[in-house]
Amino acid sequence: MSDENLAARLAREFADTTAKMGKAAEMFARTRDADIDVGATPKHLVMRRDKVELYRYEPLAARKAQTPVLLAYGLIGRYTMADLQPDRSLVRSLLAEGLDLWLVDWGRPGRAERWLTIDDYVDDYIHAAVERVCRETGHDKVTLLGICEGGVFTTCYAALHPDKVKNLVLTITPIDFHADSDDPAAHHGFLNVWTRSLDGADVDDLVEAFGVLPGEFMSSVFSMMTPMRSLTKYNIDLIDVVDDEAKWKNFLRMEKWLADRPHHPGEAAKQWLKNLYQENQLVNGEFVLSGRKVDLRAISAPTLNVFALDDHIIPPTCSKALGPLIGTSDYSEFPLPGGHVGLFVSSKSQGRLSKSIAEWLAARD
Amino acid sequence: MTQDTKSSADALADTFAQWTEQWRRIAEVSVGAGEAWSNSMLPFIMTRAAEKRTGLGDELSDAIERMAQGPKLADVWDIDRKLMAAFLSWTKMRQKLAAYNANASRPWMRAMERHGAATPTEKGTEAPGWRDDFAAWSVIANEELIRNQRSEEFLQVQRELLQAGIEFRKTQTDLNETVSGLFGLPTQRDFDELSRQLTELRREVRAMARDIPQPATSLSARASEQKGDRDE
Repeated sequence: MSDENLAARLAREFADTTAKMGKAAEMFARTRDADIDVGATPKHLVMRRDKVELYRYEPLAARKAQTPVLLAYGLIGRYTMADLQPDRSLVRSLLAEGLDLWLVDWGRPGRAERWLTIDDYVDDYIHAAVERVCRETGHDKVTLLGICEGGVFTTCYAALHPDKVKNLVLTITPIDFHADSDDPAAHHGFLNVWTRSLDGADVDDLVEAFGVLPGEFMSSVFSMMTPMRSLTKYNIDLIDVVDDEAKWKNFLRMEKWLADRPHHPGEAAKQWLKNLYQENQLVNGEFVLSGRKVDLRAISAPTLNVFALDDHIIPPTCSKALGPLIGTSDYSEFPLPGGHVGLFVSSKSQGRLSKSIAEWLAARD
Repeated sequence: MTQDTKSSADALADTFAQWTEQWRRIAEVSVGAGEAWSNSMLPFIMTRAAEKRTGLGDELSDAIERMAQGPKLADVWDIDRKLMAAFLSWTKMRQKLAAYNANASRPWMRAMERHGAATPTEKGTEAPGWRDDFAAWSVIANEELIRNQRSEEFLQVQRELLQAGIEFRKTQTDLNETVSGLFGLPTQRDFDELSRQLTELRREVRAMARDIPQPATSLSARASEQKGDRDE
């Protein structure tokens, strides 16, 4: 190619790119926050306890499984990841499968929640929610559906209160916090490596200084895990979505979810980072809540463990570790392709995840 | 001028005209962009500029440290000492940030080297479009950044930066509390202590409530009574 033609091509490409960036600027200018709705599946408030709220989703199909399902997300990020948009919503898909779905929403903890511990979340908030669901529905047990850190909370609850748990469904849940070393993928498990590079005193100092594990701090750690994606998503990557209104809104919904990252209560953050990430107490049988050791062998409920094969935040090896440690003999694993968030929002996993959970639960209802 | 050269010149003129028009449109839709730029980018640029410096020399830092750690004579010069301590911890944090940035810049250099070595420069072959070239560079840069993040040296400088940031925050809080005390205002420690007492009190109340037998009422009656209510 002659120098003149190359120059012309480069100029044309530059002009095209500029045109797309201009279009992106126009779209940003006309998009309002209200246009980007997340967590929009209809639900009603049943109970409020401090900042924690218990919701029941409105049914979308005839009931196929009678046991109520209580969904619990973690304290890092919010439950809206499971209900990002109508066509990519685990919540909506499970409702369409005829489940009676409930949600425990932790709200937005701040410095006032500094002293809350995982003990409070498991033995008080989840326990109160389970009792209320039982009271409302006439059941004496519920199915727990835990996501990420929420999966650890529900695992602990199932171990400490086996009489209240009919089934346990875990998704992208870390159990062995040191099993990242068994994962060969170089981009998996930076969170584990980073946490172990700190001393326990560093975590104590961080919480002492801020009262919480700041949401924006955790956001920066997550951004580091996908460095180039984090650097290009608001410039180069926009070029690929500006011509498609649906893609554009999908992008903004994900960004809205990412930006909605409340602070993690301080004392609970110490337990999460020190007792679990650093000392791996859950696997070692040393994790204590409300004065009782969490013994995974005490989990008697049938358990379904779903994990993502390319999960860079919770490496699949950390989730799979539950199998040999759990008490129940009715234990199933369901690996799915995709990453930590993709499991819930990718078009590929949409039907597969909810259908598998619904079928597994129907067989054990 | 040959025909090829003339058509290339025309194409260039067209694309530049198109480019100019796009910038005009961006300017139209970006009302207030100048103000937004000055509000957001200037501090960023100043920060970056500050990072390029080596910070205060050791001599001056040491002098300030001696002042900050001087004898505590009752409450004489207390605020001055705390101001100095905050300033000192800020300069230390800037030094740690400079060390962090020095480490964090290395993978970019390695990525450039790798990409340069991998890019074919044979004559007669068509150069890739910038998107393809950027995608190839991006893969390499991502690998190098992730590799660096997992190195002992990176984790160490990152940890030291975190520790310095926390220390700076502590000196800020210390200063804030002194000033609040002067005006009789409650401090962050007061608030933390109050929320601690409230959390513990709530635990005790709920533990007692669990020990009290619940009166027998119908499920539907209790449900309608308490729907959406607080459940203490």
